[in-house]
Amino acid sequence: MDLSFIGFFLVKGLEISSPIAFSAMGGVFSERGGVVNIALEGIMTVTALTLVWGAITFQSIWVGLLVAVITGMLMGLIHAVVTVTFKVDHVVSGVAINVFAIGLSRFLCQSFFGAETQSKINPFLFPKLLGINSLAFWLIPAAALGWFLLYRTVFGLRLRSVGENPEAADTLGVNVTLLRYAGVLISGALCGVASATLFADKWITGMVAGRGFIALAAVIFGRWDPVGAVLASLLFGYADTVRIVFASKIPIPDQFIQMFPYILAVVVLAGIVGKSRAPAWDGRNYEKGED
Amino acid sequence: MARHRRRFGVYALEQSAPFIGFLASAAVLTLIIIGLGENPGKAFQGIYKFSLSDAAKLAAVLSISIPYYLSGLSIVIAFRAGVFNIGNEGQYFIGGMVGAIAGTYFHLPPVLHIPVVIIFSMIGGALWALVPAVLKAVRGIHEVITTIMFNNIALALVNYLVNGPLSGLQKGTSLEPQMKKLLPSAMFGKLNGFFRSIGWNVPNYVYLDYSLIVAIVMGVAVWFLLFRTRQGFEIRAVGTSLDVSRYAGIQVGRVQIGAFMLSGAIAGLIGLQEIFAIRGFYTYNLASGLGFDGIAISLIAKNSPIGIVFSSVLFAFLKQAGYGLQLFSKVPNSVTYAIQGIMILFIVAINEILIRAARGLRKKEVG
Repeated sequence: MDLSFIGFFLVKGLEISSPIAFSAMGGVFSERGGVVNIALEGIMTVTALTLVWGAITFQSIWVGLLVAVITGMLMGLIHAVVTVTFKVDHVVSGVAINVFAIGLSRFLCQSFFGAETQSKINPFLFPKLLGINSLAFWLIPAAALGWFLLYRTVFGLRLRSVGENPEAADTLGVNVTLLRYAGVLISGALCGVASATLFADKWITGMVAGRGFIALAAVIFGRWDPVGAVLASLLFGYADTVRIVFASKIPIPDQFIQMFPYILAVVVLAGIVGKSRAPAWDGRNYEKGED
Repeated sequence: MARHRRRFGVYALEQSAPFIGFLASAAVLTLIIIGLGENPGKAFQGIYKFSLSDAAKLAAVLSISIPYYLSGLSIVIAFRAGVFNIGNEGQYFIGGMVGAIAGTYFHLPPVLHIPVVIIFSMIGGALWALVPAVLKAVRGIHEVITTIMFNNIALALVNYLVNGPLSGLQKGTSLEPQMKKLLPSAMFGKLNGFFRSIGWNVPNYVYLDYSLIVAIVMGVAVWFLLFRTRQGFEIRAVGTSLDVSRYAGIQVGRVQIGAFMLSGAIAGLIGLQEIFAIRGFYTYNLASGLGFDGIAISLIAKNSPIGIVFSSVLFAFLKQAGYGLQLFSKVPNSVTYAIQGIMILFIVAINEILIRAARGLRKKEVG
């Protein structure tokens, strides 16, 4: 194994980890504000489509990215309205949005491209750096920025307080509703970025393939911390990279190698969760003046 | 008397979310149809023609609703215990495979063979739910994540087994990968003759098979368990409040593991119709997504074993409606998926609003 191969493996792993990592970071912001967002998967499905549509229509992948981020925020807005304003159970809303997203993305694909299960080829791609989608390299500054936003800004402090103890935050004049909306919208926007690091050249139904759910595991494994979530995502991403790079070289049936990241996720969760604590009001709705 | 009527009014208000939600999403569908430049009258006529217009169409809707009902039922029992079993997708792939193994390799008379494959399907589904159940109860790991991982593991596992050790194909054949054909004694017969004898003209190509009986028996059994037994009371108590249940001395972990595995056992039955009545062999290419549909079906019916009769028929109808729309208008089939999601969101949101309104009314009444 020569050096260039190791380099290729490292860089490729970063690319494969990115969709999981960006959406996991989104999950962190949403859950730190107290809203569980299992709709990451569905949101990415839709943004992956609008990305391709935006890029083809405006002949620029950057506009495509902007469109994806905006649609991600709109999808997040649905989740926020249903959970924060109407106080529906977060997991229920997330499941419904995932169902909705399957239909919506196929419907939009049909309307935009005349076919239900795949889009046209998008020739406007992100520039490549070291042979991979350069957007993947944003992951490192994004993680730093996420950490800074959450732990070093007033917004971050308030967001965390809303997820830990909304009652106390409310008493101190923090707008619980507004902050919870913000957390969910950030997660939607990051899903847009995440889908842009997937395969920007074409949308195919089912292309997100469970990455949004793996991201949820990464949120927990990363202890609801932006940097931790990114590191956890790298673990899953590199496990997947091993599968892709070595699949033909290992004498194990392909299907077992496919299972590997999922089994890893379960084992990791089983081993870590005792030590990992969710924000106290994660997944719980807050009602002013209850009791 | 007036007071009674008032109470009933409040109760009706609380229960009416599914109907209002259904109407609201039908309105959204109408808007979409108009937005696509179609005549809604024509589109709805297409839906009617394809799903409700005669006995055969209605029978087809009932046939499609059978796996939906079983999937919804498996979610009902889990939800009632406060367990979010997103894993019934994987559980029915595994359950169906275990049932098919019993149906292929056991030599039994039909009278025994059919119950045996049903029981084996249930065991398979229950065992696939075991690990997520234990991890939830013992380690507190959220079942949504573990069951999704187990779904993916299940799909890869059945893919391996059907292609490898359990493959029933001779070398060189070009059929899709599948297990050996089921023994005739394990095949589910049809009830079409019975329905014809009572005056419902069900054509031969519609599958109203023994899985309909299984669904009815399971529905009654789950209803009885939940509302007429101590175990069922414990399940509902755990689902309502963990803390109260703990104080009341209920062993929360044990109840949740039990309900989780029961949910998996019923999920194991989702594939019965496709495997034992329609295909006659097991493949990993079973209809996918039925597990997720069950979540929606259960939510829409507010997790009631009786209510899901209606929501599973509704979903079967929507499926046919999607084809009807596609055939008779420019509206693509995918719209019906989107409408399903919108319907759940409407129903759960409206439900919260109505419950709040009803609570307000009750307070007024007391005060």
